[in-house]
Amino acid sequence: MDPRLQGLLVGILFGIVLQRGRICFNSAIRDVKMTKDNYLMKLALLAILVETIGFHLAAQLGWIKLNPKPLIPLAQIIGGFLFGMGMVLAGGCASGVTYRIGEGYITAFIAAVFYGITAAAVKGGPLSFVNRWMGKPITTTNNPGGFYAAKDGAVNLTLANLLNINPWIVAIIFALLLLIVLVFWKTTERKVSGLNWITGGIALGLVGVIAYLSQKTYPLGITGGWVNLFRTTTANLDLTQPIPYNWEGMEIVGIIIGAYLAALFAKEFRLRVPKDPKTFVQVAVGGILMGFGAGSAGGCNIGHILSGLPHLAISSIVFTIFAVLGNWFMVWYLFERK
Amino acid sequence: MSNEVKPTYTLDERGEVCPVPDVDTRRKLKEMKSGEILEVLIDYALSKERIPAGVKEVGGEVISIEEIGPSEWRILIKKL
Repeated sequence: MDPRLQGLLVGILFGIVLQRGRICFNSAIRDVKMTKDNYLMKLALLAILVETIGFHLAAQLGWIKLNPKPLIPLAQIIGGFLFGMGMVLAGGCASGVTYRIGEGYITAFIAAVFYGITAAAVKGGPLSFVNRWMGKPITTTNNPGGFYAAKDGAVNLTLANLLNINPWIVAIIFALLLLIVLVFWKTTERKVSGLNWITGGIALGLVGVIAYLSQKTYPLGITGGWVNLFRTTTANLDLTQPIPYNWEGMEIVGIIIGAYLAALFAKEFRLRVPKDPKTFVQVAVGGILMGFGAGSAGGCNIGHILSGLPHLAISSIVFTIFAVLGNWFMVWYLFERK
Repeated sequence: MSNEVKPTYTLDERGEVCPVPDVDTRRKLKEMKSGEILEVLIDYALSKERIPAGVKEVGGEVISIEEIGPSEWRILIKKL
């Protein structure tokens, strides 16, 4: 099957799960601090647990090579913090603003457009000089068990290849820690009409594993997809050649279609427009910060958090820490400050 | 049943970006007096599920959640 068609189908599935699970990483991170509500956080951690086992199993069976994201410390620290602040202003993370387009959220559409264009400018566009300031990736030549994709012998850093031990050791310890947290951290009560945290978390994790088996080079992502859509659509193309839309670009289209269908079916589709025009400016600024952050860090809450943490990639661990700090800082600034 | 209760205040949160409906509801409840009723109008299912869980902490109790249109709800909350 054409990879682009596969990307579209995986995207539709992803969009349905996001919509029915009301999965938003911005809410997940924020609510733990602001309202002491861990419902979506537990859903996200369960998905990461399923993926940690799934990805390592797929690599063990030789179906894929694990391909962690490159570690550029400054990029993940600064980019993570900017991304974390941006998602609070935008009212949703990268996947959140993408699937909410399908639910009829005008603000999500505006945030996603500014996010995609800014990310494209930073990744190989007119703002790419920013990435040269951040420095070069730190890599290793360790490749325990041949689990990892190598480029000229260089492998991107994970906890396992940094310590040069069997990746299963780190994966199983990480999975057990997650399991302990999930079992002993009391779930905030919530009456849900869609997927609950257990069914939603398992479904999200499985979509991640399916995505890796389909795309091969990486599981789910959002930033690269928006960049591909904008760049290809507005490029000066040689039409005798195939048009370079890719798996991830079509995945974005699929997410919007899947969320639209799920919302329509559940009678939750509705055009939603904020009353105060300043909200449009706020979400546009949020989108720009997210694009700038994800563009330089090499991924967003999906690429780094949902897909990157199960690799135990150092880059994704650093990004996650600083995205959480950026989110909490902006939540404090906007909603908690006296 | 819920139509008999007359709200003291109304917040129209339709169209607002997440988490503004939750934050506004909690802020309003904090400054209300005991026995007063807050009516919140929302249009997003996630808010419908999150607001009831969040109001307990600020001394509120959900009296009713009523569907008033396609993906539109009216929540009545009493300050205890």
